[in-house]
Amino acid sequence: MNAPVPNLSRRNFIVGSSAVTAGLAIGLDLPGFISTANATTASNASAAEIGVWVVIQPNDTVVIRVVRSEMGQGTITGLAQLVAEELECNWSKVTVDYPTPGESLKRKGVWGSFSTGGSRGIRTSEDYVRKGGAAARLMLIEAAANQWGVAPGECLASNSIITHQASGRTVSFGKVAAAAAKLPVPDAKGIQLKDPKRWKVIGKPVDRLDSLADKVTGKQVYAIDLKMPGMLNATIKECPVFGGKLKSFDASKVNGMKGVKKVVQVGDTAVAVVADTFWQAKMAMDQLPIVWDEGSNASVQQADILKRLEEGLKADQAFVGNANGDFKTAASTAAKTIESQFFYPFLNHAPLEPMNATAVWNQDSCRAWVPTQDGEASLAAVIAASGLTADKCDVIKVNLGGGFGRRGAFQDYTTQVVNIAKQMPGTPIKLIWTREEDMTQGRYHPIMMCKMTGSFDDKKNLTGVHMRLSGQSILASVRPAIVAQNKGMDPLVFQGVAKGGEHGIGYDFPNLMIDHAMRNTHVPPGFWRGVNVNQNAVFMECFMDELAEYAGVDAWEFRRKYSANHPRTLAVLNAVAERIGWSKPAPAGVFRGIAQQSSFGSWVAAACELSVTDGNKIKIHRIVAATDPGYAVNPAQIQRQVSGSFVYGLSALFEEECTVKNGRIEQTNFDTFGSIRLKQMPPVETIIIEGGGKDWGGIGEPTISVAAPAVLNAFYRATGKRVRTIPLKNSGITLI
Amino acid sequence: MRYGVVLAISSLLTLPIPVTKRACVLIDNPKTMNQRRQLIVSLTALSLCPWESASAMPSEAMQAMQAIVGKSPVNTGRVYFELPPLVESGNLVAVKFSVDSPMTPTNYVRAIHVISEANPSPNVVSCYFTPLSGKAEASTRIRLADSQRVWALAQMSDGSFWRTSVDTVITLSACTDTV
Repeated sequence: MNAPVPNLSRRNFIVGSSAVTAGLAIGLDLPGFISTANATTASNASAAEIGVWVVIQPNDTVVIRVVRSEMGQGTITGLAQLVAEELECNWSKVTVDYPTPGESLKRKGVWGSFSTGGSRGIRTSEDYVRKGGAAARLMLIEAAANQWGVAPGECLASNSIITHQASGRTVSFGKVAAAAAKLPVPDAKGIQLKDPKRWKVIGKPVDRLDSLADKVTGKQVYAIDLKMPGMLNATIKECPVFGGKLKSFDASKVNGMKGVKKVVQVGDTAVAVVADTFWQAKMAMDQLPIVWDEGSNASVQQADILKRLEEGLKADQAFVGNANGDFKTAASTAAKTIESQFFYPFLNHAPLEPMNATAVWNQDSCRAWVPTQDGEASLAAVIAASGLTADKCDVIKVNLGGGFGRRGAFQDYTTQVVNIAKQMPGTPIKLIWTREEDMTQGRYHPIMMCKMTGSFDDKKNLTGVHMRLSGQSILASVRPAIVAQNKGMDPLVFQGVAKGGEHGIGYDFPNLMIDHAMRNTHVPPGFWRGVNVNQNAVFMECFMDELAEYAGVDAWEFRRKYSANHPRTLAVLNAVAERIGWSKPAPAGVFRGIAQQSSFGSWVAAACELSVTDGNKIKIHRIVAATDPGYAVNPAQIQRQVSGSFVYGLSALFEEECTVKNGRIEQTNFDTFGSIRLKQMPPVETIIIEGGGKDWGGIGEPTISVAAPAVLNAFYRATGKRVRTIPLKNSGITLI
Repeated sequence: MRYGVVLAISSLLTLPIPVTKRACVLIDNPKTMNQRRQLIVSLTALSLCPWESASAMPSEAMQAMQAIVGKSPVNTGRVYFELPPLVESGNLVAVKFSVDSPMTPTNYVRAIHVISEANPSPNVVSCYFTPLSGKAEASTRIRLADSQRVWALAQMSDGSFWRTSVDTVITLSACTDTV
């Protein structure tokens, strides 16, 4: 990669950060971790901070602080739009700055959470960032009013200009910024936000602030591209059997190899090779004799795991996540019951940029550059691994080549690089995992089976539904405190079919039982984009079609009946059905499928049209998706996110699976863990519905779940075959 | 007693020992422990709320503190308590606590208790000292269920109590804060 090498002196990047633009203040003049059109000047001493969210330069450049991580999902643009709306600034002069988590810690967390996951970047920030923009506007107006000797109430701000209406006097933000910075920040409680009807920036498909051009030309610097003076490159191998340990390694076999500088143990479980270049490190690692203490998990096979999951489908004990009425009685008195079994595999996030991080450790400071979804989590890892106190540590967030949930909660690569850097004080170390390491040391989408049962009376009315989940809990491993709080149950397992809340089910059934037989494995679980909605949507929405078929009712009509009391579910369902032309016959050879789910505070649905040749080659002609996140900040970005979520979701549906052999993950590269290609991707039409409400919904994840069941349902109509096992490649089905 | 320090451990401690509520375990001689670790920073008084207005403290934590303190007043300060302000998962949090005391038979620290405001059980660990301990200092690893304020409460030989607190954020909670 031809990333531009910055011309720095070593002293520059060890120096501490300054208050104003901490993100770039260490003197690293790298080509913008966020390349924006109006690149902020790091040490512009005359820039004024107006409340913590806004910095205004004399030339009217508006720097908006963002602490969530941009990873192509559009969060910095959306968050900047929220602030700019209330600030009433000129959007064309807006740029974004990334305070570091260390800076945030020093200022007692004034910017709130850095965590970018759970589709929450905008929905959980929108209130306080808008208030931040409003506070800055009020301060600017007050400064202008003071200058003019008039009441602030007589002044208006618009497009970075403050006007005193009565006299017509005007002044730009830049000219009063310094004075405004000296004023007290208004209390958030007293701030009135704009009526959404008056929004001028929010809701507009403004161009994104992260440079598209740089991504397309390869100019964008990702963490893997970083180069610093004196930097060494490292690669690492951790025990391939989860739970195993490192026993020994023989560095003498590789120490003499070209470029190799050091071979170090990392914790109890890994060994790293440090060399001049990554390739030299990798070559040496391939030659390095390593002895693992694989432990008891080395004998675990995929079949063993599947057996336990099967057993869970029948087990007496299960955690009830959502229930009403009495399914047992409904089933025992039913005229007919239908039962179907489904399977959803382990999945790896497989971002295109493998895990990596860079760090330099000194006795009195430790700094890391991390492609992270959560700057604070990275900093927490740096503090713990460095052995230094928090005030001596910081993290600079760098562009990520894909996050998807791998790079937020899990900071194993950050811990590793600091560990290595600590063994070579003063030397910047860039640690890059090989693709094989990334594929086999993931934090996997949990494996899950499901037995769906529906009971009917003699008139073919649905009398009850039982959804028995059997499989791994993410939280049992990652946040046991929540499982303990819930008396052993993992509430997250029920995303999309929960009793209520942001992941509430969109149907009312006469008698319902949704329960989970927890069957944990030694494979470390994680939050894969969508978390648990992907499998729950397949289980529920494919089965709904089966129930509808037995009842002799159209699939759309059947769903409408059970979501009659869920207007926002109905809205998205109807939107996609109408747009796909559900009520009209499809062209010959074209078959349709439909699905809906709500999760992460949004309601989504999808309908697809596809054809099948030779009984197993699927061509998806189009997908229509509807999403209701309550409020749409940037409709263009929402469309991109929805399409993107289908790339991810359809890849999983057709191509992806991680299996266990001898305690290890078998799939080591994209040859065995595929992704769909450009030519396979169908056009996606996105319908955005703004249902309003008190709580805003997310965009990053909700829609990912509905394409798969829509496709599976359409496939049934085309072939008469119900496929209930993911991925489809295992059934010989391909996407063409 | 040959060893100066006895640890009473709650069910949340993650030391590799059998865990029972209020089990007493002997740890190694605190003098060698002191040699291994160096007390670096001076005492910090981080606690902000006076005992009288402890209404901000959750009731279980307050009860736990009251059970130790009884009717005596609690002073703020004197206790050095190190706990990272940012923690990744809460499963393994390194903590250090100590009180600067001459540790003579007439002037020593009887115990330091760590009390959590957001764990299922507020009593996290209690460390008991005698004049033979040499220094009233210990470090260990604890478990924290969520972002919270954690207290270190010291009990002196003269019957007085001193406390300090540290606020910490568990960054993993952010991932599941809506659960």
